[in-house]
Amino acid sequence: MPGPRRIGGGLLTSGGEPVNFRFDGRAFQGLAGDTLASALLACGVRVLGRSFKYHRPRGALTCGPEEPCALVDVISGDAREPNRPATTLALHEGLVAESQNRRPSLRFDLLAVNDLLGRFLPAGFYYKTFMSPAWAWERLYEPLIRRAAGLGRLAARVDEHGTPAETVHDHCDVLVVGAGAAGLSAAARLGAGGLRVLLAEADTVLGGGTLLSERWDPWREERVASLAGFATLRVLPRTTVLGAYGHGVYGLLERLAEPQRERFGGLTERLRIVRTRRVLLATGALERPVAFPGNDRPGVMLAGAALAYLRRYGVAVGERPAFFVNSDEAYESAFALHAAGVRCAALVDVRRTSPAAERARALGIPVHAGCVIARVFGRGGVRAVTVAARDGGRHVRVAADALLVSGGFTPVTALATQLGARLAWRGAIAAFVSELTGAAGATAGAARGVFGLAAAAGDGARAAALVAAQLGVTLPPDVSPAPPQDAAQGPLEALWEVPGRGKAFVDLQNDVTADDVRLARREGYEHLEHMKRYTTHGMATDQGKSGGLLGAAVLAAARDVPIEEVGQLRPRPYYEPVPFAALAGPEVRGHYRPKRRLPLHEWHESAGATFINAGLWLRPLVYGGAGWEPVLAEARAVRVGVGLTDVSSLGKIDVQGRGAAAFLDFVYANTFSTLPVGRARYGIMLREDGMLFDDGTTSRLAPEHFLITTTTANAAAVLEHLEFHREAHARHLEVAFTDVGDQWAQFALAGPRSREVASAVVTEPDLSNGAFPFMAAAAATIAGVSGRLFRISFSGELAYELAVPARQARSVWAALLAAGESCGLRPYGLDALNTLRIEKGHVTAAELNGNTSARDLGFERMLKKDGDFIGRALSERPALLGPGRLQLVGVRPVDRTRRLRNGMQLVVRAAPTTSLGYVTSCTPSVQLEGWVGLALLADGRSRLGTRVLGSSLIHGELEELEIVSPHFIDPENQRVRS
Amino acid sequence: MSAPEAIASGVRLARVELEVREWIAFDEPSLRRYASGAGIELAAPQRLHVAADCVTLSIRPARWLLLRAGGTTGAADSPVPSAVGACVELSSSLAAFLLSGPGAREVLARGCRLDLDTRVFPAGSAAATLMAQVAVTLGALAGGFLLLTPASTARHFEEWLTATARPFGVRAAGTLTFQELSGDRSL
Repeated sequence: MPGPRRIGGGLLTSGGEPVNFRFDGRAFQGLAGDTLASALLACGVRVLGRSFKYHRPRGALTCGPEEPCALVDVISGDAREPNRPATTLALHEGLVAESQNRRPSLRFDLLAVNDLLGRFLPAGFYYKTFMSPAWAWERLYEPLIRRAAGLGRLAARVDEHGTPAETVHDHCDVLVVGAGAAGLSAAARLGAGGLRVLLAEADTVLGGGTLLSERWDPWREERVASLAGFATLRVLPRTTVLGAYGHGVYGLLERLAEPQRERFGGLTERLRIVRTRRVLLATGALERPVAFPGNDRPGVMLAGAALAYLRRYGVAVGERPAFFVNSDEAYESAFALHAAGVRCAALVDVRRTSPAAERARALGIPVHAGCVIARVFGRGGVRAVTVAARDGGRHVRVAADALLVSGGFTPVTALATQLGARLAWRGAIAAFVSELTGAAGATAGAARGVFGLAAAAGDGARAAALVAAQLGVTLPPDVSPAPPQDAAQGPLEALWEVPGRGKAFVDLQNDVTADDVRLARREGYEHLEHMKRYTTHGMATDQGKSGGLLGAAVLAAARDVPIEEVGQLRPRPYYEPVPFAALAGPEVRGHYRPKRRLPLHEWHESAGATFINAGLWLRPLVYGGAGWEPVLAEARAVRVGVGLTDVSSLGKIDVQGRGAAAFLDFVYANTFSTLPVGRARYGIMLREDGMLFDDGTTSRLAPEHFLITTTTANAAAVLEHLEFHREAHARHLEVAFTDVGDQWAQFALAGPRSREVASAVVTEPDLSNGAFPFMAAAAATIAGVSGRLFRISFSGELAYELAVPARQARSVWAALLAAGESCGLRPYGLDALNTLRIEKGHVTAAELNGNTSARDLGFERMLKKDGDFIGRALSERPALLGPGRLQLVGVRPVDRTRRLRNGMQLVVRAAPTTSLGYVTSCTPSVQLEGWVGLALLADGRSRLGTRVLGSSLIHGELEELEIVSPHFIDPENQRVRS
Repeated sequence: MSAPEAIASGVRLARVELEVREWIAFDEPSLRRYASGAGIELAAPQRLHVAADCVTLSIRPARWLLLRAGGTTGAADSPVPSAVGACVELSSSLAAFLLSGPGAREVLARGCRLDLDTRVFPAGSAAATLMAQVAVTLGALAGGFLLLTPASTARHFEEWLTATARPFGVRAAGTLTFQELSGDRSL
C-alpha cells in the first residue's frame, strides 16, 4: 500500500489500484478512492498550503468539504482551477495539483515574513496604515495588497472550447439534505410512503457519521440497499445543496463521477435547480476547533477528521498523536486509532472526569483530565505539545507528531437560517440549533442537536413522519432493522479558548485570531456582523463552517455577555465554492442568447450577406464587401431601378373580432375605425406616460380583421402591451391578437421599376395606380402562392410589400429575383434600407428611443382630437409641450466633403460645452451630395435654416452643420404615389 | 456504498410536418358546439387531445392549436363564424418536433422548468413554457413529447436539443408523418 502512514485498508481505498499524481511538482502514489489530502497524508506530507495573511504553513484541519486550509489549484493543461479542498478532491491518475499562496515554494515562502511582523498587521491594519499619501492607495498600496493577498489564482486563459455546464431542473415531494443516520432513515421512510424523494449527499458515499464506526456498517448497508427499492426515490451523491431560495427552490451542485464525466463530454459539475414541496434537513454537525496558541500548526487536526482518515482511507495521521477534547464523542477517534495500533501520546480532556476517560485509561491511554493544551511546538509540523492543568498548576511537555482537537460539534444551520429558521442556544451541546417550522419542512438529527447516531436515525424517522403528514401521506409501519444503541455519554464542557502567548486562531482560512476579535470589539465593532466585516472572520469559502461559533464565543467573552446575545453567523448561499461555469450553465458563447433566423437565412448566407443582430434576429446588413460602397450601390439601385429586401423580421400581429377597430382606436394615437377594408394606415402608439412607443402600418383585411406591423425589436413588447390593455381596460371588447410574425415572410420591392417586377409575379390584384394606389392592401396571388400585398414604402420610392407563408418564401423570392433580372433588381440589406429611410426622413428605434414624444418627431397632426387613447393625458403634460424639447430635424455638413457621426453632439460656438441635441442617424446620401442625417435638436423646428456645430469628442471632430427639413428627398411624397 | 445512479438512455428526435391553425373563442360554448359539429374535439384546458385526423392543444384560455397532417385540408381550415371566434393560420409559424425514448424526460429536464414526471404531466398534458430561452409549446403523448417552437427559433432549438440529447444516445429519426404522431401510441 502506497504511503508509510497507510496502516490498513480503508472503506473507500480497500482494494484500490495505485494512482500516480503530482503535488507541487513531486510525484506521489495513492490509491483509487483516495482524496488528494488522504493520499498526501498517507505519504507523510503534512504541509499542504500557506495561510492567507501570515503565510504560515498549514496542513489539513478536516477530512471534508468544510476544509479551511488545504486548498489547492488543480491544473489540467492550460486550465487552472483554484481553491479546491484537497480533502474532497478525488485522486485520479495523472492528477496535477499545486499548493496556493506561497512565493516561491511551499517549503520557503518569502511572505512568511508577515508572520514575524504579525503584531503590526492586526485586523484592519491597512485601513489605518495606508492612509497617506492619498494618491498612493490606488496606485501603490491596493495593488500591492491585492498581489500579496488571496489564495488560488485563475488560469489566465479561458478555455473557449470546454464543455459548457449543464443546468438540470428537478422536482420532488421532499428534498432530503444529507445522507447520514438521520437522512438515510428519513429518506427510506419517505420512499416507503411512495413520496417522490431526492436524497442529496455531498460525500461520494452515503452514511455520514455511520461511516466512522464499524458497528454501524450492517445498518448503513441495509438502509442504502433499501433505497434502490423505492421507485420514487433518487439518490444524488457528490451533490451539495448550495442554498435555499424560497418557494421550495434549492440550488444544488453535483460533481460528476468519472464514468459520467466521460458520457457528458468531460463535464465536471452540474447545477441542479430543485423545486420541492418540502425539505428535510439532515445536514449533521461539524466538529469545531479550540483557540489556543499554535492551533494552526500542520498536524493539528480535528479529532473526527483523524478518525475519518483512518476509517475511509486506512491512513493514520500521526504515529504518536495527542488529543485535546471536551466531550466523550471525541474519544471515539482515540479508541479507533488505539485499536489500529497507533500509540496515543496523551489524551487531554478539559473535564475532570467522564465515562470515556475511564475507558481510555483502561486501555492504557494516558489521560490528562482537567487540562488544556497550552502550546504547540513545531513550525512545519507538530513535534510536541505543552499540557497544562486548568487550575494553573503543572505544565508537562509531551512529544507528539499530531494534535487531534475537538471543541464540540456545531449543527449545520446554513440552509435552515436561509429559510428563516431562528437560532436557539442549547447549553448541553454548547451550540446553536435551528428547527424548521411550518410549510418549509423539518430538521432532523444532529442538525437540530440530536447527537448520537441511533438518536439521529430515530429523529430522521420522526421528521419523515412529520413531513409526510404535512403532505397528507401516512407512512406504513417501520420494519427497518433497529440501529445499534448509542453508548452512554458524559456531558460536554464548553471550552472556546486557552489564553497564552502566540497566535490562537478562530478562523484558520482568513487568519483571524482571538486577539483580532477582541481588537474589533475595542474598535467598536461589537455586533457579530460588524466584527465579521472588520476582521474577515467567516468570509471566503469557509463561511464560518469551522470557526464561526468559536469567533462568536470569543466575541461574547470579550463583551462579557452570554453567547446567545451575540448569536452566530448566518451564511448566505453558496454553502461551498461553485465554479462560474456551473452557474453560467449551457447558455454561453454561441448559445448565450437564442438566434432568430429569417425564412431565407440560408439564401442570404449563400448570397454573401453580412449579418447583424437586430434584437434576436439575424438580418442581412449588406451583400458584398465592407465599407460604404456596396451599401450605397444597393441603395442607388432602389433610387434608380428596383431593389428587393427581406423584411420578414417585422413584427406582425393578427387582430380579429367585433371590437378590433374600437380597440385599435384605443391603443393607437390615430384613428383606425375609419380605415376602409383594403387600405393600410401608418400609426403611432404611445406609452401610458405619453411618450412614443412604437410605429408601423396597420391594414384592414376585413371589417373585423386587421394586421398590425411593428418594428422588429418591439414586436413582443407591442403584443404584451396590447394583451395588457385588453385585459386591463377593454375586457368589454371582443378582440383577439395572435403573433403571426413567423407565419409570414415579407419582402419589400422598392424603386421606380418595382411595378414592372411586381406585375410579373402578382397575378391578382391589378397593380395599376388607380386600382392599387399608395397604402392599398389586398389578398394576392404571388408567384402562384396565396399571400398579401401592401402598397407601402419605407424607402420613399414606389414600393410593394409582398407577404407569403414562410414555407413558400424561397420559391416566391426566387420568382421575384428572376422577374427583376431584366430591370437590374438588386437585393439590399439593412444598411441600404437605413440610408433610404434617412434620406426620406422616416424614423426608427434611433429616434423612437423612449425619450421622444409624438410632437418631438412631428406627428402632432396624427394625435386624434376626439376619443381617448393610451397616453393621451400624459402626452399633454406641460413638460412635453413647453419650449426646449428636442425636435426632429435634418442635418448636413456645410462642407459637403465632411462626414457626420451618430451621436455627434450639437452645440453653438458661443456655448461649446452645452449640448443642444445630437445626431441620431446619418448616412452618405445616394441622392444628394455628401452626408445627411437626422438629429434631435432643442426647439429644432424653429432653427431650420440656421447652423450649429456637430461635435464628436471621441473622434476629435467639430463640423459646421446646417439645420434642414428631415425630408431630404421627395417631401411632397410624389414618388410613393407614382 | 451508494445506491446506484441510473440515468435513462435512448432518445429519438424527429421533425413532424403539420398544418397548424389557432382557434380563438369569443363565445366558448358556441365554438365548442361548432367544433363538435365539424368533428373536432377541442382539448380541455392545459390538455392535448389526439384524434385520428386532428390533434388539439389548449394552452391558453379560450385558445386552441389544431394540428393535422402537413399538406392536407380539413375541417380545421374552415373559417370560424365571426360571432363565435376566429381562426388564424400558423402552419409556417411553428416548427414541430417529437422527442421520444426512455431518456426524453432527462433531456428536457436540462432546459424545461416544468415537472414532466408522468404523475404530474401524464400523456395528454399540454403547456406553454420556455426552453433554451425560446418559447415552446409542449404536449405529452403516449410515447413522447410534442414540441412546437416558433419557426424562426427552430434551428436554435434543434441545435440545443440535439446537443443536450447527445449524451443520451440521441438518434435522428427524420420527419414523421401526422399518422405516426397521432396513431402510434408506442412512439
